[in-house]
Amino acid sequence: MAARGGKGWRWGGAVLGVAVLLGFPIVVSDVYLQHLAIFFLLWVTLGTSWNLLGGYAGQISFGHAAFFGMGAYTSSLLFAKLGFPPWPGMLLGGVAGILLALPMGHICFRLRGPFFALSMLALSEFLRLVTLNWRDLTEGAVGILLPPFFISKLPYYYIALALAAATMLATWFLVDSKVGFYLLAIREDQDAAEALGIDTTWYKLVALMVSAFFSAMAGSYYANYMAYIDPPIVFSIVDISIAMILVAVLGGMGTLWGPVVGALVIVTLSEAFRAYFAAAHLIVYGVLIIVVIVFMPEGIVGSLAARGPRWLRPRVATDAPGASQG
Amino acid sequence: MKRMGWISMLAIALVCMATSASVAGEVIKVGLPLPLTGIHAKFGEAIRNAYLLGLEEITAAGGVTKGAFKGSKIELLIEDTTSKPEVARSAVEKLITRDKVPMIVGEYSSSNVFAVAAVADKFQIPYLSQTGAADNITQQGWKWVFRVNQPASEYAGGLQDFLLKVVKPKSMAILFENTLFGTSLSKAVQEWTKEVGIEVTNFEPYEAGAIDFKPMLLKVKAKNPDVMFMVSYLMDAMLLMRQSKELDINPKIFAGGAAGFTMPEFIEGARGAAELVYSATLWAPDVKYKGAREFYDKYYKKYGVHPEYHSTEGYAAAYVLKDVLERTKSLKNEDLREALAATDMLTPFGPVKFEAYKKFINQNRLPTLVVQIQKGKLVTVWPKEFAAADYVYPVPKWAERK
Amino acid sequence: MAEGQRKGHMDLTILLQTVLAGVLVGGLYGLIGMGMAINFGVLRIINLAQGELLMVGMYVCYWVFTLWGLDPLLSPVVTIPFLFVLGVVIHRFLLTPLIRARALPENQILLTVGVGLVLTNAALLAFTSNYRTITTSYSASLITLGSIAVSLPAVLAFGIAMLVSSALWLFLMKTDLGKCIRATAQDPDAALLMGVNVERISVITFGIGAALEGAAGSLLVLVYYLFPALGGIFTLKAFIVVVLGGLGSTLGALLGGIVLGLAESLGAVFVSTGYKDAIGFIVFVLMLIFRPAGLVGKARM
Repeated sequence: MAARGGKGWRWGGAVLGVAVLLGFPIVVSDVYLQHLAIFFLLWVTLGTSWNLLGGYAGQISFGHAAFFGMGAYTSSLLFAKLGFPPWPGMLLGGVAGILLALPMGHICFRLRGPFFALSMLALSEFLRLVTLNWRDLTEGAVGILLPPFFISKLPYYYIALALAAATMLATWFLVDSKVGFYLLAIREDQDAAEALGIDTTWYKLVALMVSAFFSAMAGSYYANYMAYIDPPIVFSIVDISIAMILVAVLGGMGTLWGPVVGALVIVTLSEAFRAYFAAAHLIVYGVLIIVVIVFMPEGIVGSLAARGPRWLRPRVATDAPGASQG
Repeated sequence: MKRMGWISMLAIALVCMATSASVAGEVIKVGLPLPLTGIHAKFGEAIRNAYLLGLEEITAAGGVTKGAFKGSKIELLIEDTTSKPEVARSAVEKLITRDKVPMIVGEYSSSNVFAVAAVADKFQIPYLSQTGAADNITQQGWKWVFRVNQPASEYAGGLQDFLLKVVKPKSMAILFENTLFGTSLSKAVQEWTKEVGIEVTNFEPYEAGAIDFKPMLLKVKAKNPDVMFMVSYLMDAMLLMRQSKELDINPKIFAGGAAGFTMPEFIEGARGAAELVYSATLWAPDVKYKGAREFYDKYYKKYGVHPEYHSTEGYAAAYVLKDVLERTKSLKNEDLREALAATDMLTPFGPVKFEAYKKFINQNRLPTLVVQIQKGKLVTVWPKEFAAADYVYPVPKWAERK
Repeated sequence: MAEGQRKGHMDLTILLQTVLAGVLVGGLYGLIGMGMAINFGVLRIINLAQGELLMVGMYVCYWVFTLWGLDPLLSPVVTIPFLFVLGVVIHRFLLTPLIRARALPENQILLTVGVGLVLTNAALLAFTSNYRTITTSYSASLITLGSIAVSLPAVLAFGIAMLVSSALWLFLMKTDLGKCIRATAQDPDAALLMGVNVERISVITFGIGAALEGAAGSLLVLVYYLFPALGGIFTLKAFIVVVLGGLGSTLGALLGGIVLGLAESLGAVFVSTGYKDAIGFIVFVLMLIFRPAGLVGKARM
C-alpha cells in the first residue's frame, strides 16, 4: 500500500515538474529570470553529458570545452560561410563533436590512468590555438558575430529545455540498458570487465561519443543564443571544462539528478554571489567548492541519497561512488 | 507662520508647474555594466573610477542643470559582469527589465560590448559604449548603439600619418597579441601597408603572457625592418622592449599600437628599454583638448594612479551622459536616442559627435595621436596641432645611447 | 657570395640563440614542473593549484624585496619555507580528510581547483590586479659571447634552478626521508607495511612540491612580471612538462621542461609564434601515443 502511494506521488511529482518547466517562461515574464533559467538548462545539459562519461563510465575529462567549442564553431561557421540555418546546424555541431571524439577515444582509451583526462585538456587547448590562428577560416580572435535569431526568449527557452531533456533521457536509457551495466563494470574494475569479455574500449567510446554529441550541441546552442563566440570563450578551461566537472561533482557523480541540482546551485549561487560579495565573489565560490568536496564528497544528491527516498539514489550504483575506490 | 509655510509651498509648486512639467529633483538611474572581477578587472576598475569621478563633479555642480530634467541627480547602477559575455547579458537584461533604466553606458571588452549592444538594441534602449574597440560594434546597423572611442582599425591613423611624413619606411614588422584588438588593428595596418607600398617583413601573432619573445624577435632581427610595430598589452610590451634591447634590434623606430605602450607601468617595467619608443594612442595627458590635463591631475589626486585613455573615455562618457540628459525632452527611448544622436560637445577626450561614415553609424570620429617616451615621460608629438613637444628622430641605436 | 655567407652566419646565430633561449626558459619550466611531478608521484593526483602556489611564491619574493630589499636570488631562503608551510597546511587540513575518506581522485583534483580560486582571488583583493616587476642592479645586464647575447638574470635563474633540482635529487636519493618518499611513490601499501608513515610522508611531499614553486617563483620574478591571475598559464605548462617527463618523475620533469622550452622556441622561429604553444601540445599528444611512460621510461622519482 505504502509503496503504491509512493508511486502515485512520484507520477504526480513528475507531471507537476513537467508542467512547471513548460509553463515557467509563460508565467514568469521577467527576461532576466528567463535568461538564468536558460543558463540553468544549458548547464544541466553540460553537466549531464560530462556525468555520463565521468560519473557512470569513470572516464574523467578535463577538456570537454573541446567538444563545446567544436559545436559552437561548427554551426556558427556553417551559418556565417554557407548560410546554413543555425538550428539544424546544432545537430551538425553535435555530429562534429562525435567526429572529434572518435580518434580521441581510439588513442586514449587504450591507456589507463589519467591519460585520457590529460589528453582532453591538451585537445581543448590545441583547438583553441587552432581557431585563434586559422584566421582565414575562423576570423581568429575577432570571433564570429551572428544575428540574433529570435526576439523573444521563449523559443530559446524551449530549445534549451528540449536539449536538456534529451540529454537526460539519453543518459537514462543508456544507463538502464546493458551498456550502462558494462560501463559500471568498467568503472568498478576494468580488468574484471575485460575478463568477462566486455570490449571495454568500445563501450567507453560509446559513452564518449554520446557525451561529446550533447556537449557539442550545447556549444552550438550557446553560439546561437549569445550570438557571439570567440576562441577564449568557448574553449575556456575554467569557465567550461572545469565548470562542467563542478556541476557534476557538486550535484553528485553517477546520479541522474546530480547535475540538475549542481546546475541549479551553480547558476543561482554565482548570480547571488556576484551581487552580494562583489569583488570577493570568486573567493566565496572557491570556498564553496572546498566545503562541498570536504564535507559532501559524494555531492549533494549522493549525500542526500544515503538517507533520502529511494528514487533519489544513484540509478546503477548500489553503493555510493566513493566507496568503490581503492 | 503655518500659513506662510502653506503659501510658500503653493508658490513653489506653481513655479515648478509653470517652468515645466518636469520632475525636478528626481534621480535618473542609468545602467553601468563593467567587468569588476575576472580577467578584465583592472580596466573595469579604471573605467568605474573615471565614471564616478565625473559623476561626483556633475553632482557637486548641481546634477542636470538644464532642460526638462533641471535639478535632477544622476545615479549609476553598477553591475559587475565578471568579464564574461553571458553575465554581461544577464546584467543588462536585469538593468533594463527590473531597474527600468532608460539608458545604458559602459562595458570594456568587445566581446562583452557585443552582448550588451545586442540586448540594448533588442529592447530599444540607447547604449553609449566608451571603450569596446571592435570595428563591427558600430557596423551592425544597431540603431541604439553609440560609441565614443575610435574603432580598432583607426587606432593607428595618426601613427600611419607620422610614418609617411617623417620616417618614410620601406619595410615593417608587425607583431601582435592574438586577441580581437590585436588582430583587428594589425590587419588594418597590414592593409594600409599594401596601399602605401611598405613591405611587411614579419606578420606574427603571439599568445599573450609568454616568458620569452626572443625566438620571434630573432626572426625580426634577421629581416632588419625599418619599423617594428607591436600591438601588445602591458606585460608583453615590457618584455618585447626589454628583449629587443638585449638582442640589439635596431629598426628606425619602435612603434606600439596603443594599449600597453601608453601605460605608466610600461615605462617603469621596461627598465630603460622604453625610452624613445613611439606609440599610437587615443589620448595623452598633455594633449591640447580642454580639460585633459585637469582630468589627469584630478584622477591622480583622487585614486593615486595615472589615468590613461581607458579612464578618460569613461570620464568623457559621464559628461556626454549629462549633456544628453540636459537636452532630451523625456526619458522615453526615442527622445533619448534623438538627444544622443544630436550630441556635439567637447570633452577632455576630444570632441564628441556621432556620425555615419564608411560602414559605421553612430560613431564618434576622432583623430588619433602619436606619443613618444622622452626622458621617461609620455609626450604627444603628432599630429602637429595637438603636439606638446617635438619628436626625437632619428632614434639612436641601442649601442649609441648612454 | 659574401652576402650568402653573411646570411648563413646569421642563420646559425639565430639557431644558437633560439636553442639557448629555449634551454634557459626550459630550466624554469622544469623546476615548475618538478613540484607537480613530485606531488603526482606520491599522491597520484594532479595539483591544479600548482601555478597559484607559484604565484604566491612570486608575491612573497616581491614583498621581501620591496619591503626589506632582499635580493630575489637570496629570497628562496624565505619563499621555500613559506610555501612549504602553506603546502603542508593545505594538505593537512583539506586533502588529508579526503584521502582518509578515500574520496575519488577527481574530487581531490577539484579541491585543488577550489584552492587555486581562493589563492588567486585573495591575491587580487590584497594586491589588486596591477602588474608588478622587480628591478635589481643586474636586471638589465647582458652576457655576450660573440654575436650571441643572453640576459644575466635568465642565466642566473637557470643556474639556480639546476642547483635546486640537484639538491632535490640528492635529498630523494640520499636521505632517509627521501627514501621514504620514493618508497611511498613506488607502492604506498608496501611502504605502509615497511613501517613508513604514509600519511605524514604525503603531507611532507605536498609541502616539498609547494616549496619548489616557491623557489621557482623567486627565479621567475627575475625574468617575468607578476599579477594574481598568472597561475593558470603555469599550471598548464607544468602539466605538459610532467607528462613529457613521465608522470611522477622529478628528473624527467626537468628534462621535460627543457624539451618544452626548446619545442616552443624552435617552433616560434621555424613555424609560427601563434602556434608556439600548440607545438607543445602536439609533442604532448605524440608522447601519450608513443611513449606514455615519458621520456625517461618507467623509473619513478
